[in-house]
Amino acid sequence: MTASTQVAKLEAEAITIEERSPFQVVMMRFRRHKLAMVSLGLIIFIFLVTALAPYIARFEFDEVNVGKYFVDWGTVDAETGRVHYMGTDNIGRDYFSRLIYAGRISLTVALLSVLISETLGIIVGAVSGFYGGWLDAVLMRFLEFMLTIPTLPLLLIISAMLLQNEELIPIPEPLLNFLGDFLLLGPRAARNAVLIVIVLAGFGWLSSAQLMRGTVLSLREQTFVEAARSLGASNVWIIMRHMIPNAMAPIIVDASLGLAGYVVAEAALAFLGFGIQDPIPTWGNMLSATQQFMLSRPYLPLVPGLPIFICSLAFNYIGDGLRDALDPRLKL
Amino acid sequence: MSTYLVRRFLQMILVLFISAVATYALLNFAPGGPLQGLRQIQQTGRTTITEDDIARIRAYFELDLNLWVRFSRWLLGTPRGPVVIGGKEYFADLVVGCRKPIESEIIDENGKYQNVVVGCKEVVYMKDLVGRRTSNGLVRGDFGMSWRILRDRPVSDLIASRLPKTLQLIGIQTLLSLLIGIPLGIYSAVRQYSTFDYIFTTLAFMGSAMPTFFFGIVMILLFSILPKDAGWFYVPAGLSESVRNYTVPGLGEVIAGSFTDRALHLILPVAVLTIVNVAGWSRFIRASMLEVMRQDYIRTARAKGLGDKVVILKHALRNALIPFVTIVVFTLPGLFSGAIITESIFAWPGMGRLYLLALGDYDYPVAMAIFFIIAVLTVIATLLRDILYTVVDPRIRLS
Repeated sequence: MTASTQVAKLEAEAITIEERSPFQVVMMRFRRHKLAMVSLGLIIFIFLVTALAPYIARFEFDEVNVGKYFVDWGTVDAETGRVHYMGTDNIGRDYFSRLIYAGRISLTVALLSVLISETLGIIVGAVSGFYGGWLDAVLMRFLEFMLTIPTLPLLLIISAMLLQNEELIPIPEPLLNFLGDFLLLGPRAARNAVLIVIVLAGFGWLSSAQLMRGTVLSLREQTFVEAARSLGASNVWIIMRHMIPNAMAPIIVDASLGLAGYVVAEAALAFLGFGIQDPIPTWGNMLSATQQFMLSRPYLPLVPGLPIFICSLAFNYIGDGLRDALDPRLKL
Repeated sequence: MSTYLVRRFLQMILVLFISAVATYALLNFAPGGPLQGLRQIQQTGRTTITEDDIARIRAYFELDLNLWVRFSRWLLGTPRGPVVIGGKEYFADLVVGCRKPIESEIIDENGKYQNVVVGCKEVVYMKDLVGRRTSNGLVRGDFGMSWRILRDRPVSDLIASRLPKTLQLIGIQTLLSLLIGIPLGIYSAVRQYSTFDYIFTTLAFMGSAMPTFFFGIVMILLFSILPKDAGWFYVPAGLSESVRNYTVPGLGEVIAGSFTDRALHLILPVAVLTIVNVAGWSRFIRASMLEVMRQDYIRTARAKGLGDKVVILKHALRNALIPFVTIVVFTLPGLFSGAIITESIFAWPGMGRLYLLALGDYDYPVAMAIFFIIAVLTVIATLLRDILYTVVDPRIRLS
């Protein structure tokens, strides 16, 4: 028996496992987290309903039915035969339609904020952590200070200022039109939503940058970076090809938890009257409007309040599951 | 240590100056502000507002002064007129602002009409500033006068009237959160994977995901509105004391403004804040405890035969509390700013609501004062944290 046949035999006897890509491994581990899977299902359902809002909702979100104030659940509109699944609000707008349009707006604002803040955070954090120097020192002192100031007073003062001067930050018209079409709003209403995204993402990127910087700092000392450098890789290449992909795990978890935070923050701003304004529906301003009818309709606040809570909880569970799947040692 | 403190003190002053500039710029750089309504009245043309009226109103809000002059008067309390050195006046004819700006409507490139200031009919000289009302400056602890909420009354009066209510609310809440949160976290960590731990972590997770504003409303529903309708014992919600006497089943008549009345009104807001806080804090303590319990010195302590109680309370807890110091110290700005959302839901007459009111009502001196004090307290909290760290963990040295 020659050596080569022996080797061939060995191969045949070896236990072969199906090769899995990193993505498959993560998905497999994520599936073990039951609550995260349930949450994912819920979120997909909510996304589908809000994405199909114009087909599901029987009324426009600002369509006022004169004289039909606070009609009961399931009342049929006599003229058009449309059903008020959840009745109407105090000025006769269909509650169910407003609820799902509100979801579309709230979730889009949260998604956009996460997208912008994580992108900004990745860039600033990676550059600051990789190059170091005085810029890094100044930036980090600034971040530290901003992150210790209570967030809500800061968010409120900025959105109060922006809402009073809507034209202060120039927003390109095509962007407003595009977003307006997507959110089914006019350009003026879309501007309101964009301003809130700016306010939220304007603060959100601070913590992402800090997170990214920390990750890059530890990655910078790794051997594979040294190897890449000794092979003549440029700084930009190292950041793009080695730093950012390797730092994705904490960023993904942060983004998922961030979604929960932004849904709540947007709702909080709207609730306090410094967010997206009525007649544009969001869960926050709908909840705030129910407060004055609490004595006569005690259960009404649950309708817009529960979706906020469910989304917040679901995104938190998904983040939890993603952390367990990606890297259980992460402390986020 | 002392050189460290001196350096930190200088840093603090720089940071505070920057926050003062930022606070002022945030609310004053932007156009509009308190005169927005005025412009609309002017445009409808139904009421007659003369040029002099506008000049007077602009002077009231100091809008006729240049931005840097306004800022300097807000921060330092100067300039209040020409500089007098040896009986002689200097800079008396320095232009510091414009009383009656000439506005012109121009069409910008998008085809929109815009009002643009093109000139000045009447300027304000330094000598005109003599006798005009002004604050003594932020650095001397004067926040100026309120514009809207309590017109022409000092902002400090307004804050002083609201602060006790917030201190009461946040003080009780912080104390309760510490008393409940720390033991809960410890117990849950010590009994990891027990039924209690499982229920606790689930509830704490939900608690920290729960938006305060929704939680507050649910609490009002569960403990105030529904029991009241059913004729059971209920807890009054809204304001810090009742306006007229009321009867609570099981407690009899409650006299408005009495101790019982005020205590009853405290229950719900304190409960909301405490539960939300306990959820976050005890989770933190639990994670921190679990980490410490894995350390070698805990095993050593157990190996030499120390009892559970000593190991947990003396060896583990002390070390687990070190990172917790940071969190507790940063409740300091909260003591002042209050819980904006909770105060707003329960109509609690504290600082948080005052801040909201000021922002909504264009009462910028009030909003700026509150925001600046929050910044000051944050800076103090940061310093306090660093010093406390060396106290609780002697391994850390400040240099």
